[in-house]
This record gives sequence, C-alpha cells and structure tokens, in this order.
Amino acid sequence: MRKRRLGLWTAALTGYAFLYVPLVIVIAYSFNNSRLNAEWVGFTLQWYDTLFHDQDMLVAAGNSLMIALLASLVSTVLGTAAGVAMYRYPSKLLSVLVLAPIAIPEILMGVSLLIFFVLLNFTLGLVSVALAHIAFCIGFVAIVVRARLAGMDETLTEAARDCGASPWKTFRYITLPLIMPGVIAGALMAFTLSIDDFVITFFTAGAGTVTLPLQIYSMIKIAVTPEVNAVSSLLMLLTLALIIIASKVSPSLLRSE
Amino acid sequence: MTRILALLASLLVATTAVAKDEFHLYNWNNYIAPETIKRFEEFCKCEVVQTYYSDNEELLAKLAAGAKGYDMLVPTSNAVQALIKGGQLKPLDKSQLSNLKNINPIYLDTPFDPGNKYSVPYAMSTTIIGYNDQKIKELGLPTDTWAVIFDPKYLEKVKGRVTVLDSSNELFAAALKYLGYSANDVDPKHWDEAVALIKKAKPYWAAFNASSYIKELTVGNIWLVHGYSNDIFQANLDAKAAGRPFQILQGMPKEGAVLAVDNMVIHKDAPRPDLALKFMNFMLEGKNSSELTNLIGSGNPNMDAVKYIKPEILKNPAIFPDKAVEAKLEQLKELTGPQRRLRNKLWTEIKAGR
Repeated sequence: MRKRRLGLWTAALTGYAFLYVPLVIVIAYSFNNSRLNAEWVGFTLQWYDTLFHDQDMLVAAGNSLMIALLASLVSTVLGTAAGVAMYRYPSKLLSVLVLAPIAIPEILMGVSLLIFFVLLNFTLGLVSVALAHIAFCIGFVAIVVRARLAGMDETLTEAARDCGASPWKTFRYITLPLIMPGVIAGALMAFTLSIDDFVITFFTAGAGTVTLPLQIYSMIKIAVTPEVNAVSSLLMLLTLALIIIASKVSPSLLRSE
Repeated sequence: MTRILALLASLLVATTAVAKDEFHLYNWNNYIAPETIKRFEEFCKCEVVQTYYSDNEELLAKLAAGAKGYDMLVPTSNAVQALIKGGQLKPLDKSQLSNLKNINPIYLDTPFDPGNKYSVPYAMSTTIIGYNDQKIKELGLPTDTWAVIFDPKYLEKVKGRVTVLDSSNELFAAALKYLGYSANDVDPKHWDEAVALIKKAKPYWAAFNASSYIKELTVGNIWLVHGYSNDIFQANLDAKAAGRPFQILQGMPKEGAVLAVDNMVIHKDAPRPDLALKFMNFMLEGKNSSELTNLIGSGNPNMDAVKYIKPEILKNPAIFPDKAVEAKLEQLKELTGPQRRLRNKLWTEIKAGR
C-alpha cells in the first residue's frame, strides 16, 4: 500500500515538474543580469525597467490582452450556444461546421481568412485579428460545453419544464449553472489559444498591428534578450491572477462537481 | 453584453484614430536606427509605423494573399524579383530620388531589377566565416578560405566545434564557391561534387544551425561558423558586453561569398507613396544610411555614407571588402522548378546522411 502511494507521488511530481519547471526557469532568467541570457550572471531588475520603457513591446502586450479578452468573451457566448445546439440537435452537419476550424491546419485558416478579408475589402487591423481569433476559438468552447452537457442529468430540465419554466428560464437557471465549469474551462482555453496564436495572427494582422507573439518572433533573428522573459513572466502572473480570481468569485467553478 | 460592446467600441476607436500622417514600413526587426526614424519623423511631420517580418517568404506569402496597408518593404533582391513578377510593386519616380547618385553603381542595374525600375539598395550582408579568435589562433587555422569549413585536414582540429547554416541555398553556394564555381552554378555534375564535399565534411560539424549559432559563439561552445556577417557582428558585440576573454571575428573567404542586398521598394497599394518616396530619398543620404551600418555592422552600398561610418567597421574587410574580393561576391538567383526539386532531393540526402 505504501509503495503504491510513493509511486503515485513520484508520478504526480514528475508530471508537475514537466509542466512547471520550464516556466520557473523562464521567470528566474528574467532577473538575469546578462543580455545574452545563456548562463546565470547575477540578479537584476533591469529588464523590467527596459520593458516598461519599451513602447513597442507594451503596445504589443496590450493588443494581445485586449484581443484575447474580447475573443474569449465572444467565443464563449457563441461557443456555448453552439455546444448546446449540437447536444440538442444531433445533426452531423452542424457538428462538422462547428468543429471544422479545430481540425483545419492553422496556416490554411490564416491564409483563407486573409483572402476573405481582402475580398470584402476589410481593412486589416486589430478588428480582423479579433474576428479571426473568435472564429477559431468557438469550436474549442463548443466541444468542451458539449462534453459537459453529455454528462448532465436530462430529467432536471424536464422537471423544470414540468414546473412551468420557459425554455429560456430552464436554460438560465438549470442548464447554465450545471454546465458552468465547462463554460469557464472553454473561456480559459479560448483565452490561452488567442493570446499565444502566431500563424493566424500573422496573416490577419494589418500594417502596424503587432501582438506579443508577432513581436517576439521578429526578435528571434537578433537574439532574444531577458526582456522577453520579463514580459512572459508578467503575462503568466496575470493569467494566474485571472484563475485565482475566478476560483475566489465562485469556488465551484473550477471543480467538476 | 455591454462590456463586450464597450470593448468592441474601444477596439474600433483604436483602429480608426489615424488622423495623423502615418508611414507604414514593413521591415526586418532592428533594421533601422532609432535616431534615423526620429529624424525622418521630424522631417516628414509624420509618424513611422513599423511592422516586422523575419523571412522573405513570410513577406511574399502575406502580400501574395492580398494584404494591404504597407507603404514600403525591404526585401532581398531575389524576393524583389518575385514581387516584380507578381505585379506587387509601384514603379519609382526617379525625379524624386536626387540622392540615388550616392549608390555605388556596381549595386545598380542588376538582373533582379534591370534599370532599377522598382527598387533601390538599402543595406547588405554577406555569408562568411565567423570564428573565436583565441581558439582559432591557438589551433593555427586559416580564416580566409572556405577550406576551413570543408577540408577534413583543418576540420579534424575543430571537430564538433563547427556549425554551418541550415539552408541548402547558402551551403551549396559556399561549397560551389570553394570548388571554384559560381554560387549560381546549376550544372548537376558540379552539384554532385558539392554534395560529395559536404558529405565528407559533415561528420566534423556539430550541427546545421541557422538560429542559435550567435549565442553558441558568444558562449564559447562553437568556435567556427558558416554564418551571416550581421549575426557574427552581433555575436562579437554580445561577447564584448558579456566580458568574454575572446572576440568573435569575421573572415572573408578569398574564394568569394554570397552577397545579400536588401532593397527599398514601394507596394502597389501603398496608401502613402509620397511618403515612401520621401523616405527612400532620405535613406539614400549618406548620414542616414551610415547609422544602420554603425548599429548592426551591415554592408553599405552608399558611397556618401563612408565618411560617417565608424573607423573600426570601415577597416573590417568582411564588411567593406577590397575590390578583388568584392568582385567575387555573388547574389543568389532563384532556382527554376526542376532545379529546386533536384536541390531539395540532394539536401535531404545530405541531411539524412546516406
């Protein structure tokens, strides 16, 4: 029995280490006093100072955040609706239409969206990037929400209808609270997918539109400085804060039951 | 819902608030000095908005799909040729380019853009040898010949400390140059000779590396590279800043090397071609052009820039080669379809190590 426990712990620790050690290293090296950032030289806050004076990087980070927030909000609403629809009306065509963007290679999606925007004579900019992100996030939210619905007790909604609740009321007071963890998970997923997307963003961004991944990628040619670590650390902190706030506001949100 | 609307509204405001004159430059990252931008902004009373790409193919793909909004692009010569073929560029009004006379005539009227109808040279780099001066001196290796990259006689002294670029075009060009052919030689027999040469040298190389070799050089893990002149210049700046006991120097092979010229061109749908022409003429002024060379050690086709360039850069034979070597520098031409397929096949064969 003890042996099994030990094995479980080791496996869990290895798993978490695999996930988190790289992140810890990124954060640690943001305090490294070396432009090269190849080995540890000494502690400094210089890179955070550089970051707060680097207009390009700040604008890019701001754009990324704004787009991610918008994309996750809109795609959560639409994705939840799509998930519910897919559950209620199990038609093949509907599922294919909603889920296709998940399966399509990103580069195809990026190029086709660009060609689409050009056809419409739509000016490329932050709006086109946000629309593109919403488009590819919907599928991910829908799939999570549908999975959540599949585990739901159908008799609850029937009971609500029997008691005279309108379909909207049933959804608002019975279905939605029950699938909330799925909705939140979908929203967080959409946020993450949007904030680190490169390929689709590259094609749909217009002249002068930068997001964080675009900015960082273009710096690779001339060697990445710890400033990139600094901005990544701050973003991680922000994401962590979002999750903590979400779990504080409603402790049941992140639990499965 | 109101929150979403508010966000949407703020997005729209952010994108439509472009009352000020803007000049959109689609450029490589760190490819113009900040002080140059500032001076141009004062001169044109406009704002310079830069977007970056890190590869010519990225730029070509995006424009081919129909992206708009860029005034000026800075592609390499063979990409200029592709853009001309694709009808993506606006012919230049030379009457607005009084400073074009500053450009060294050997960089004008090339086969990539005959008569410079669409493009003017911006800056250049070469693909050369970079080395750790301490180690290479200790080992007594030459640094002015491709032999040091390809000949096992030299390589066995630096086994595992050498990297070459992970680019079939660049590596074949270097091998062809070493064999005494043109970098643009397309004779399959000569290509076979190059493959044999590369295969013999490959066991001595640590890696095909096109991205992290700057760092490996500065840290001291790698002592000898086949790399881009700007990167090697950057590696030396980094080594100096990190207080290393060695320097990273540039070696120009006497057999010649690949030259890459980046050119200013105006996109056909440029919203402000007037500003683009102004910028072009501004960058053709010696002082403005010299600032980039002083910043990143790029080669400079501008004869008027020489007097503003730092003396230590000016006397670097890899950045400002003498006439004999300059004549042996070659710009890479695009391969035809069948040639590209053969090249890819050979490259796979080399990488797979058969």
